[in-house]
Amino acid sequence: MTDQIERELVLPAPPEQVWEVITGPGWLADDLRLDLVPGGDADFGDRTGWVEESEAPERLVFWWGEDGEPATRVELTLQPQGDDRTRLRVVESRPLEVLDVTGIPLPGSGGSSYGPAMVAVA
Amino acid sequence: MTLGTGHTDAVFGALADPTRRRLLSAISDHPATATELAGGVPISRQAVVKHLSALAEAGLLERERAGREVRYRVTPAPLSDAVTWIAQVGAQWDTRLASLAHTLEARQSQPT
Repeated sequence: MTDQIERELVLPAPPEQVWEVITGPGWLADDLRLDLVPGGDADFGDRTGWVEESEAPERLVFWWGEDGEPATRVELTLQPQGDDRTRLRVVESRPLEVLDVTGIPLPGSGGSSYGPAMVAVA
Repeated sequence: MTLGTGHTDAVFGALADPTRRRLLSAISDHPATATELAGGVPISRQAVVKHLSALAEAGLLERERAGREVRYRVTPAPLSDAVTWIAQVGAQWDTRLASLAHTLEARQSQPT
């Protein structure tokens, strides 16, 4: 089984503005660095990871984890609500524990242990 | 909700009661039957059984036969680990999302 957290809320801004805030510094991390292409590096300061999917301003999927810890997958989906609101859905999941043994290193500099090869089964 | 919130709610619901927390703590020291546990709390054995059932239904305790009684033990690590993860990561998202809403509200009232 996969452990999973789901949250959803409506934000008082259109998707373009929400996208700007969630992919910019200050929210996910103070010194956030996100290379918004599939396989791009992600640096959250205390965590590192990589971008699985980026489709502005609709969908951002990335993996993150602290060094040495298994990474988890975060999926952010933005849906316009009327003219100036956005429904944001967050799903964070950690994959089946049995996959821990694969230990595929991330393409980035971090020490997290899941990589693109896992996407097909995650 | 698939696995997340519903289950976590059940766990928090079960742990909201101080008597249940006390029973769970006693059982985590060593597995026990309702009769054994009733000796340590100021409530009836029937009331203890009711609390134990709530804890078992939330997945925190497992039952095993012990002669004519049932012995309760704390569910092994994987489930507790999942519950801990869901509670911690869920709380982090609640904080993050509240701050995101706050940031955007502030922006709307002061457009740049």
